[in-house]
This record gives sequence, structure tokens and C-alpha cells, in this order.
Amino acid sequence: MTPLRTLALAAGLAAPLLAHADWLVGVAGPFTGQYASAGDQIKKGAEAAAADINAKGGVLGQKIKLEYGDDACDPKQAVAVANALVNKKVQFVHGHWCSSSTIPASDIYNDADILMATVSTNPQVTERGLKNIFRIMGRDDQQGSVIGQWIASKFKDKKVAVLDDKSAYGKGLADEIAKAMKAAGKEPVLRESITAGEKDYSGIVTRLKNAGVDVLAYGGYHTEVALLLRQADQVGLPLVVVGGDTMTNSELVTAAGKLADRVYFTFTPDPRKNPQAAPIVERFRAAKIEPEGYVLYAYAALQLFEQAVTQAGGVERAKLEPVLRKGKFDTAIGTLEFDEKGDLKKPAFAIYKWTGGRYDYAE
Amino acid sequence: MTAAALPAPSPLALRLRDALVITVLGGLLALPFIGLVTVEEGGALAVRTRWGAWAMTLVAIFLGRLAFRAALDAWRSRKPSHKSAAFSSTDAVLRRAAGTSLLAVALLLPIFFADNRYVIDTATTLGIYVMLGWGLNVVVGLAGLLDLGYVAFYAVGAYTYALLSTQFGWSFWAALPVAGALAALFGILLGYPVLRLRGDYLAIVTLGFGEIIRIVLLNWTSFSGGPNGIGNIPRPSFFGLPFARSAEGRTFHEFFGLEFSPMHRFIFLYYLIVALALLTHALVSRLRVLPTGRAWEALREDEIACKALGLNTTTVKLSAFATGAMLAGFAGVFFAARQGFISPESFTFSESATILAIVVLGGMGSQLGVVLAAAVLVVLPEVGRQFADYRMLVFGAAMVTIMAVKPTGLLARREPTVRLNPSRSSAP
Amino acid sequence: MGYALQQLINGLSLGAMYGLIAIGYTMVYGIIGMINFAHGEIYMIGAFLSVLTYVLCTALGVGPTPLVLLAMLFASITFTALYGWAVERIAYRPLRGAPRLAPLISAIGMSIFLQNYVQLTQGARIKSVPPLWQGGVTLWSADDFRVTFGWAQLTVVLVTLIVMAGFAWMITRTAFGRQQRACEQDPKMAALLGIDVDRTISLTFIIGAALAAVAGVMTVLQYGVIDFSIGFIAGIKAFTAAVLGGIGSVPGAMLGGLLIGFVEAFWSAYLSPEYKDVATFSILVLVLLFRPTGLLGKPDVEKV
Repeated sequence: MTPLRTLALAAGLAAPLLAHADWLVGVAGPFTGQYASAGDQIKKGAEAAAADINAKGGVLGQKIKLEYGDDACDPKQAVAVANALVNKKVQFVHGHWCSSSTIPASDIYNDADILMATVSTNPQVTERGLKNIFRIMGRDDQQGSVIGQWIASKFKDKKVAVLDDKSAYGKGLADEIAKAMKAAGKEPVLRESITAGEKDYSGIVTRLKNAGVDVLAYGGYHTEVALLLRQADQVGLPLVVVGGDTMTNSELVTAAGKLADRVYFTFTPDPRKNPQAAPIVERFRAAKIEPEGYVLYAYAALQLFEQAVTQAGGVERAKLEPVLRKGKFDTAIGTLEFDEKGDLKKPAFAIYKWTGGRYDYAE
Repeated sequence: MTAAALPAPSPLALRLRDALVITVLGGLLALPFIGLVTVEEGGALAVRTRWGAWAMTLVAIFLGRLAFRAALDAWRSRKPSHKSAAFSSTDAVLRRAAGTSLLAVALLLPIFFADNRYVIDTATTLGIYVMLGWGLNVVVGLAGLLDLGYVAFYAVGAYTYALLSTQFGWSFWAALPVAGALAALFGILLGYPVLRLRGDYLAIVTLGFGEIIRIVLLNWTSFSGGPNGIGNIPRPSFFGLPFARSAEGRTFHEFFGLEFSPMHRFIFLYYLIVALALLTHALVSRLRVLPTGRAWEALREDEIACKALGLNTTTVKLSAFATGAMLAGFAGVFFAARQGFISPESFTFSESATILAIVVLGGMGSQLGVVLAAAVLVVLPEVGRQFADYRMLVFGAAMVTIMAVKPTGLLARREPTVRLNPSRSSAP
Repeated sequence: MGYALQQLINGLSLGAMYGLIAIGYTMVYGIIGMINFAHGEIYMIGAFLSVLTYVLCTALGVGPTPLVLLAMLFASITFTALYGWAVERIAYRPLRGAPRLAPLISAIGMSIFLQNYVQLTQGARIKSVPPLWQGGVTLWSADDFRVTFGWAQLTVVLVTLIVMAGFAWMITRTAFGRQQRACEQDPKMAALLGIDVDRTISLTFIIGAALAAVAGVMTVLQYGVIDFSIGFIAGIKAFTAAVLGGIGSVPGAMLGGLLIGFVEAFWSAYLSPEYKDVATFSILVLVLLFRPTGLLGKPDVEKV
């Protein structure tokens, strides 16, 4: 009896809250667990966007209501979250964040004919033939090849090592970096993996020092980069790190201090420099939120929803999917256009550098 | 606190004093974490105070302790003598009735929630954990071997199906026995060298094996896809009829003349796990009354006596290990088929810990207890989604509380399944 | 040669830290025969407290680094010990005499609780402090490879040595140490001889937590970056160290910690770091195969 009743209670709690006059948009990501800080950014961006859109009178006269789903970056929970969101009859989803969560969850949204905008960068996300995914960010392979080519040209006569953290994201990125470097005639002197979540990387850092490595191309998250930089500094190795979009997190600066100035990374052209985004950025800063990392992406995902639904005149998949696939959308992160797979047609990447706690284009 | 033994002051004064002591201690504990917080400010950490939250915590601890003492005293005075610990026959009848009604609920569930995929899906997850719990129950509950790496066999099952189906086009039904056999083989291979270890040494070694298998899956990219995992795993079909909107052959809804609904597959998967779980249950219950099962229970009670009676303890342990592993392998196949995507992240130590918690919370050796505990551990975090951030906090606290209230588990049972004197024997 | 020496130093400071945490596991196991899975979280709490103390010290302008370090040790040990004591009172004492696995599950629940408690109250973002000491002693300098013993690493090793010496003295020479060992051997007999077993167990938890707090401070000192989830990996490694050395044996825990530190350092130095943990666990299995009670564990005498 107990499981049935509790289940009924769980489902029952959710159902009556559904006011039919609202658009229900699911926002899924890691709001708890190791990557909760990314989830935080997503939440802030989505909340601001919903507030702004609703203040203008909503979409087609209806307000947007957000429904959060916490997957903690665990694939099993992602499936549960996806089912819960489908059951609450959400009409659109922004998420998930981790590729390993997005992949199993997208099958469920696809079954339920719900379209989604995601920032997961693993190529597999859109390579599986699902038509309901629209990726508003570049892919790891594109990002990796940009980094690899840049390293090959910028650090022509330096020794470069490639490391990753064994996550789907990190390994995918590092593999592509190594591939692009080799294609450009630059052989990495070391290609290894480390375990994320540990604190002691002195073993591998000493190895880098012994191999005379100057530049480290890293696929993974910012916490490990901060630790690698600090430990390299301890053994007197002036390491330069080149990484992916996860390095936008300001935690890197808090953790690595001045050493963060040695970090280069790729990210889509700074949405904060986009003239269209200027008023939005202003409003975020007025609310004491730095629109870094995924904040503006979440904002843009909801703008995408607003514009596509307005053009299509509804959220039904049959109407909305062709509009998203054909249309052009002006958002806080620039103009978005999608190809057949749901990837961005023009994923631009720029190389950034941290300097004194702020990141800006590298020369 | 020791003052409780003295008769002198009035109970109220005593309780207030006790609550005050607890509040002071709790306040000290809460001071650095609730009263103070470090926040990032301009690229460095700064300390902020939260005296309001701290004061509220103090009040909550004080009132909570008072209420707790009052409830505890009331409960103690209400129950002067505990009911006899003996296992009575009415209990067995009750258990049987509870089991039957649970089965009825399980079978009827999709009828009441035919269009609620969240309920069906959560119930399916519950089914997986019940099956895993029953499997581990053989190792821990019956044979008394502490296994902290049970998830390894679950992973073996899941990856076997994922690889056989995506690489060689095997069907769910063909892969199921193979995966079970492979998992059992792993159980024997891993178990053989370490079974002479005792108690907690065995626990850490199994934990190590669980981690080794996960790390190998993570790093052997050409074999297992590494961190990317394996995707596009085919879903099981209904005797050859796929659950799809359209397919090359006939689909399930076409064959039965129904309108397409993704719910069909959910309900089918649900019944599939119910069937698999029932099979597991039948197998384990049967094994328990056979010599093998009786040997497991004997081993749990006294290994030396077993040896003295001429039982080959290695064979007995290995058979328990292999049976448990095989059941985990089956569950793994189902898990891979349901998720459609697996990666090493699903097979971490915390998964082993959850399954072990199900067995122990349920009351070791009790089949019904496993169902109850699995329901608590699976449904609680899902219900907890309403409380968002506090969900796992409550979950952890609930585990501690349940153990404190019922240290032998929700349904304790350490009775031998078979007794010499048949009049006192009980149903499994 | 210089390279190997440097890795030896890395392994030494890492192993010292594992050893400190492992003692907590081994003491608790020795006295009540349970694996305290929440011990990793106690270490995490110790690390958080030392970050808090550091930030408070800088805000109050407390002077030289050694003084700050002492303040960190003092505050972290005091409060972490309190947490260790509270965990025992809340989660384990009600389970005295319960089936063997009950406290294990209670400990897992406690560990989930503490981890989420810290995440909720202090936030999920990483906490970091700037390096307290830069540089170090150069031990060896040859063909442009300098072997350095960083000040932070040196402090870690020295503090561990001092703490271990004090701890060994306490266990072998003081009344508490005798009581502790008596309870370990036979709690019933100890109780009959007038030892307050409950009090001894409480003190064991307090001391285990204090040592974990020292490890937490050392983590902050050497790595400077922590978050609420650091307890898990460190806990598993330290537990492995405790078993490797022979669970229940205090010198064994230290030996096991050092051994795992060396294995990790040398494996990432010469082989592929991704299989480092496989190596650690394989060595554990091998050792246990030939010495089923660990390196320094007492052989189990089975009484019928």
C-alpha cells in the first residue's frame, strides 16, 4: 500500500498545480551535487528570462512558468526528472547540462514530442537521429579542433601535453584537441587522464615538469585546473593551460588566484559583448548577478522558445519543429540558426584569456 | 543527561534542562556552518554572519528536543512490556497477506495510472531495486557475506546486453541468460580468491573489485565506449513487436489495433520487471528450502560449525556469490534496456551502498522487507523532489532514524527457513 | 633519480594525509568493530572549518602564517571533534548491540546527511584559500631538474610526525590509552573492571575526528581548494589504507596510508595515471591474499 499511496501523492501534488493558461517550460540541470554551481547559473538565467518575457505580456498572451528538475548529473536521475517533467506536461525543456544526462533524457522528451534546447556539448547528443534537440552551443569536436589548431599555431615551439578528466565531456574534448594538433603537425608530448575529484595531482605535475611541458591542453572542469596550476607552481613549473568552455566559471579565479591569468579557453563569442545583449547584461549586473557562463545561455533558450512559439502560433511539435529548424532567432547569445541535426549552423568559438579576474578575448 | 536517573527535580525541569544542554551543544555544532558562511567577494572568500538563521536553529533544536523527549517518554510508558520476540504463526499469516496484497497492487498499478508515466517509471525503478535487493539478500542476508561491490555484477549484466545488442544485434531475450551467466561467472572468478577472507576484509575487497570494474569500463574506450558510454541500446520488444510509432515490420499498436501511445512501452517495461522480480522471488524462495539455501543460512550463523559438519564452505560461499551475481546481471540487462544508454556513472559505489541499505533496512533475509525498504529508498527521494534542495538531507536523516528505531530492519527475520520440528516451521 | 626522489616526496606527503584519516577508521573499527563510513565527511568538515578560520583570521588581521596555522588547527580540531562526538551519540550509540550491519547503514545515512548539510549551509561552490607558503627547500639540483620539498609538503609531513608521536604516546602511556586498548580487546571485561566503555568509545570518536581535522587543515594548507564532496574519495582511500595495514592496528594505518601514497605517486609517475586506483586496489587484494588480516593486523583467533 505504502509505495502506491506515496506515488499517487507525488503525482497528485504535481498535477493540480498546472494552470492551463501558462506555458510550462522545464529547466533541468544539476542543482545539487558536484556541478551545482553550473545549475545555479542556469537557474538565474532562466528565472530572469521568464520574468522579462512575462513582464512584456508573455508569449502569445500566456505567461511562462518554469518547472525545475534536478538531475545532479546522474543519468538515472535524469531519466526520472525527464519523466516527471513530461508528466507535469511541460511544453519545452531547457537542459540538461551534463551530456550524459541529456542523452538518456532526450529519448523521453522525444517520445513525448517535447522540443528541447540544450547546452550539452558532446557530439553524441545530436548524432543519434533525434529531431527534438536543438543545441544552442557548439560541439566538443568543433571546440576541440579550434583549440588544437590554435595551440599548434600559437605554441609552435613549445612542448604541449594533453590531459583529460575521464568525463564524457573532458575526454571528448581532449581527444579532439589531440587530433587537431596532430593534423596541424604538432605532436603532444604526453596524453594522459587524471581522476576528477581528487586533490593531489603532484604526481602528474611532476611528470609534466620532468617532460619539460610548457603548455597543458586540458579537457575537463575548472576545479582540477586550479589544483593543477597551484601544484605546478609549487614545483616551480610555469604551466600555461588551454581549456574549454567550463573555464568560464569564476570559481577558477577564486581557486587559482593570480595563476588563473595563465588560462586560455574557448567559448562562444562573448555574449556580454553582443550589443543585443547589452541591456540584459545591464539588468543582470543591476541585480548583482554576473552573467557569466551559462546564465545568458539559459536566458537565450527561453528567448528562443518565445520567438519560435510566437512565429509558430503554438507549441505543438508539428508546428514548432519546422520553425526552429528553418528560422533565425536573435537572442542574448547572438543569432541562432540550426541545421538538420539540431546543431548550430555557425558555431563560432573565440579564444579567451583570464586577466585579473575577468576574461576577455586573447590576442 | 545522566541526571535522568535522579528522582529529585520535577520532570518538567529535567526536560527543560536536558533540552537546554542539547541546545547548547547543537548551537555549537551549528555555529560554524549555519551561523557563519564563507562567500566569494571580489575573487576571495569573506565571512558573513547569519545570526537569524542560527537563532532559529537554536529554537528549533530546543523545541524539537522537548517534543522528542515527551514523545519518547509517552511511548515508553505506553509500552511497558514488549511483545514476545518469538516468531508467531499469526505473523506469518500477516506477512503472507501483506505479500499477496502487495502483489495485487503491483499488478493493478498500471490500470490506475495508465497515463501517468512518472508513476509507472518510478515503479519500474523500484522494481529494479527490489530485484537487486533480493539478489544481494542472498549474499548478505542469507549467506552473511558482506559485499560492498555488488554493483559490479549489475554493470556486467548491463554492459553485456548493451554490447551484444548494439554490436551483434542480439535481442533482449537472447541476451538475458547470457548476461546472467556471465555475471555469475564473474561472481565466481572474483569470489574464488577472496572468499577465505573474513567479514570486513571481504567487504573492502569487494568494494575494490567494484571500483576496478568501473575504472576499467571508464578507460577501456574501444571496448565500452569509456565515459561516453553506450547509447542507442534497443528496447525490448513484445514477442517481436516493437513499441514504435512506425517500424519496418508491424508494431505493437498496429498489431493490436490500438492508437500509438508511448505509454505502452512504459507499461510493458513495468510488467517485465514485475515478472523478472517475481521469477527472482520464486527462485530465491525455492533455493532457501533446498540444501544449498540451508547451507547458506548455516554458514551465516556459524562458519566453524559448518566446517565441522563437513560442509565445503568454499562451494557454499561461491554458490551464494554466483546466485547473487546472476540476479544482478539480470537486473543490469533490464536497466540497460530501459535506459537505452549506459555509462560508468551509473555503477558507482553509492549504488552498491544503496542496494546494501535496502537489504539492511528491510531486515536481512526478509524478502518482504526488501520490498518495503526499496520503496522507502526509491520513493522518498522522488517525493522529496518537492522539497528540492533538502531532499538528500532528509534522505540521509531518514536512514539514520530508521536504523535507530529499528536496528534489525523494518521486518527483521533471522529465523532459519527450515526447522527440524515441523510444527514450528514457518512459511518463507 | 631526481625525478624519482621528487615523486617519493609527493607520495610521502600524500600518504601522511591518508594515514591521518585512516587512523580514525582503524580506531573505531578496533573498538566497536564497525566501518565508520561517515569519517570521510568528518574530514571534509575539518577542512571547511579550517577555511573558515583562515578567512576569519585574515579578516581580523591575525599576523604571521604559523600563528594562522595554529589557529586553524585549534578551531578545526575543537569543532570537528565535537562533530565526531555528536555523530557517535546520534547515529551509533543507539545501535550498540544491534546487528553488525546496522551501524554501517546508519553511517552511510550520516555521510549523506553531513555532505548535504554542508552543501546547503555553505553552498556548492568550491572554497579556496591562497597558498600559505610559497616555495620550498631544494634538495637536489641536476640537469635542470630541481627536486623541491615544498614548505607546505614539509609542514604536512612534520605536523603528521608530531601528531603521530603525541598520539602514540597517548595510546601507550596514558590511562586513556590503556582503557582504549582494554575496551578494544574485551569490552565486557573492561566494563567489569570499572572502565566506562561508553566514555572510552566517545573519546575514540573524538580523537579520530581530531586527527581527521588535522588532515583537513593539511589539505587546505597544501592544496588550498576544497568542496563539500571531498570526503568521499579521501574516505575510501583512507579506509583502504586502514585495511591494507591491518584494520584495528594504528601503526598499520599509518603504514597503509604511506604505502598507498607511494603507489599513487609512482604509478602516475611511470605508468598511466588513469589506472592508478586499479593498482591501489590490486595491491590491497594481493596483500590480503597472502596476509588475510593486512600487513600489521593481528591474526584472528577463532574461538568455538
